[in-house]
Amino acid sequence: MDVVKYAFFSYGLTAIISLVVMGIIVVISKSFGNSNEQKEI
Amino acid sequence: MLETVIHLFPGIGSLFVQDPTIAFARIFLILFGFALAYFGFTRKLEPLIMVPMGIGMIAINSGVLFLQAGKIGTLFLDPLVEQPDVLVNIMQVNFLQPIYNLMFSNGLIACLVFFGIGAMSEIGFILARPWSCMIVAIFAEMGTFATLVIGAKMGLPINEAAAAAIIGGADGPMVLFGSLILAPKLFVPISIIAYLYLSLTYAGYPYFIKLLVPKKYRGIDVEVKIPEVSKKAKFVFTIVVCTLLCLLLPVAAPLMMCFFLGVAIKEAEIHPYQEFLENTILYSSTLFLGLLLGTLCEAQTLLNPKVGILLILGIIALAISAVGGLLGGWLVYLVTKNYNPVIGIAGVSCVPTTAKLAQYAAEEENPFAMILPLAMGANICGVIVSAIAIGVFVSTLFLVK
Repeated sequence: MDVVKYAFFSYGLTAIISLVVMGIIVVISKSFGNSNEQKEI
Repeated sequence: MLETVIHLFPGIGSLFVQDPTIAFARIFLILFGFALAYFGFTRKLEPLIMVPMGIGMIAINSGVLFLQAGKIGTLFLDPLVEQPDVLVNIMQVNFLQPIYNLMFSNGLIACLVFFGIGAMSEIGFILARPWSCMIVAIFAEMGTFATLVIGAKMGLPINEAAAAAIIGGADGPMVLFGSLILAPKLFVPISIIAYLYLSLTYAGYPYFIKLLVPKKYRGIDVEVKIPEVSKKAKFVFTIVVCTLLCLLLPVAAPLMMCFFLGVAIKEAEIHPYQEFLENTILYSSTLFLGLLLGTLCEAQTLLNPKVGILLILGIIALAISAVGGLLGGWLVYLVTKNYNPVIGIAGVSCVPTTAKLAQYAAEEENPFAMILPLAMGANICGVIVSAIAIGVFVSTLFLVK
């Protein structure tokens, strides 16, 4: 792979992993948020 | 007579017996060190790093003396020693050598700084606008990948180009750690250049903001609702994200562990540890980091011909990252209409400098604009994205022919 293609590939991979990590953060925070709300109800 | 004077005042005398290039470089670095310390004092540059770095730079280039066998050197440290027996001997002479070998060249000092940053970070800020924070941080990593290509085209081997490109992530400890893995022979100049430029972001980034975000947009106040998330939830997702990142990127695991352990200690409200990390650990390691970076600025070390290329790449990387971050800010603004594009600069993960710069820029136009929570969220996402980028480089660099 030449360096330009590699730069796009590695940037894309970094973005995908970052978004997956953020997805997990959001899911966990929402699930905990929901369980708190349920307790309040 | 002249020889007596030279030996009586070796700091000055050595200037006359050294190669003229090295002698001039020493004089330049003494003056440069003075400028760094002074601008740190006036707060034009980041004082926590620049004052010890400037004074270290002055001392290492002034305190030169004649050692055994006619060698010229100092009593501070020698970063180029590799043989174990020589190292053991030199550790008993050079007073900063143990700190350099046992804390700096193995990345420990970077991890300690990350401990402190973690203990100070409020991870709840990410939850206010999670996707915006991450999008901005991804855009602000643009400098890293663009500089990789530029560095390779300038003739650097791919591992050295990647090590220099990490400066674009604008995260000092991460640069130190990453360059140690990717290009151990260049990690000293890369770390020095990174910290030097990171301090310059304090002075230079406001111009990028003014250039790329018109006045009326800079003062936009953003409505932020930080969701109430329990300490338990924050603690759990701190651990989960730490585990996930360590699994995906083992190379960045020491830094990730330190950062998230700091966050976990804060969320678990272990106050004695938190105070210890926030005050003692963070500030003592920053002091020694600055001092070591200064004492590494020896004329001989910096006359490496690659330093010129690294200087150019460092500034390109940080400039492109700033532009990328602000572009990300614009993208989020155009899509949501409830965002201040200035926050984009905080995606560049120089914690907390760029977040503060974003807040200052907004405040200047609208004293009631409060964008700091969102900027801090983008800042923390920037740290995560920078770590991921280094991990991706280390794991996949073999793909480049």
